[in-house]
Amino acid sequence: MIRVENLHKSFKTNHVLRGINEHITQGEKVVVIGPSGSGKSTFLRCLNLLEKPTEGRIYVDDECITDPKCNINAVRAKMGMVFQHFNLFPHLTVLQNLTLAPTLLKLQTKEQAEAKARALLSRVGLEEKADAYPKQLSGGQQQRVGIARSLAMNPEIMLFDEPTSALDPEMVGEVLAVMRQLAEDGMTMVVVTHEMGFAKEVADRVLFMDEGIIMEKGTPKEIFENPQNERTKSFLSKVLS
Amino acid sequence: MVSALMLRERIKMMEWFLNTDLWHSIYASLIEGERWKMLLNGLGTTLIITIGAMALGTVLGIILALCKISKIKPLKWISSFYIDVIRGTPVVVQLLIMYFVIFASWNVNKTLIAIIAFGLNSAAYVAEIIRAGILGVDKGQMEAGRSLGLTHAQTMARIIMPQAIKSILPTYANEFIVLVKETAVAGYIAIEDLTKMGDIIRSKTYEALIPLLIVALIYLFITSILSKVFKRLEERMRASDSR
Repeated sequence: MIRVENLHKSFKTNHVLRGINEHITQGEKVVVIGPSGSGKSTFLRCLNLLEKPTEGRIYVDDECITDPKCNINAVRAKMGMVFQHFNLFPHLTVLQNLTLAPTLLKLQTKEQAEAKARALLSRVGLEEKADAYPKQLSGGQQQRVGIARSLAMNPEIMLFDEPTSALDPEMVGEVLAVMRQLAEDGMTMVVVTHEMGFAKEVADRVLFMDEGIIMEKGTPKEIFENPQNERTKSFLSKVLS
Repeated sequence: MVSALMLRERIKMMEWFLNTDLWHSIYASLIEGERWKMLLNGLGTTLIITIGAMALGTVLGIILALCKISKIKPLKWISSFYIDVIRGTPVVVQLLIMYFVIFASWNVNKTLIAIIAFGLNSAAYVAEIIRAGILGVDKGQMEAGRSLGLTHAQTMARIIMPQAIKSILPTYANEFIVLVKETAVAGYIAIEDLTKMGDIIRSKTYEALIPLLIVALIYLFITSILSKVFKRLEERMRASDSR
């Protein structure tokens, strides 16, 4: 579903990604872990071209999105993205946050989009907040709206960029619950997170990134119980202690 | 008896006042030869130039701002250059160049020339105001819009601009008020705006204080009305902000 070949990304002189090869298949839940500055967020943001790779190729559904001729907007429409800081649209109500893109892109009529939005809001437990503005919601509620907003586009893939890192600890659980449910429903997910519990429980595969490459990958069992790489061991001993 | 006395007192005071220099000066400045009409016409010209220039400046300012934040290098350079040149030179000089150089050989209405000159000037300031407003919107907003599959233009129009407008409005209003006062130099190309009219009256009556004071008061009146109107608008926006 997503194929990454020899991905490099530099910001000026800072070489953040140094050759990443990865294949994510349909329905797979991939969790990316690693120390901060390891390039995991940059990797994720390259997958929908929020960052432009300096080198390498990325294929989504066999379409080469790094090809300049590719219509990236159409590809992004089927890839949802959830941000660390939610990035909800503060001037729109929760419902409008969900319906804006589908109606503007003429994928759904206003009525369809609203019905779909209300269904999604009840799925994340926020149906009564449809007419509220993002500012009136707690962080956890905002992030659940963020997830619902992405789902409103009927994406095939969901990308999560540290979705719980900006939340107060007591709100992490509600967001992870929504993500867990999404995983159970069979969504293809790529999640960058520091929540090791979530990684162990939900991931089909865990990628450990450091210094701009994937140092080690494997099932959660392999990575967490029997890490091979020294870096992985030292990272895990720090975060799990 | 008492009221008759008071009436006489008042008539006396009136007579005294009508004999003062102050009254003679006011009379000469406003009433004699219906000079108040000159001031009114001058005010009309000032307002026409201001409103016309603001309209031109806003449209051009938006275009300049979009050019300056665009990724297309030549557009960026041109708009930066334009803004630097306009902001780095006096508006009077720009007005004179417009009148004596650019439109020298054409018979164009002077008020229109002033509108163009002040409009081109204001555009540079409006552009910077709008650019600052757009850049003030969190970067994540553009990313969120683009990640949903919206184009750059769609995200700009539906997500960025509605948020930017809130920070743009107060400074934009200020630019409007500045422009009202700035047009006072229109007299340099012999346009009979409010200031020029006051000056004409001064030269005819040999009275400087009263005509110029009246002109100043009219400017003050106009700018304080504008500032009240914009403050109202701002408050309304802020009210919708805390919903």
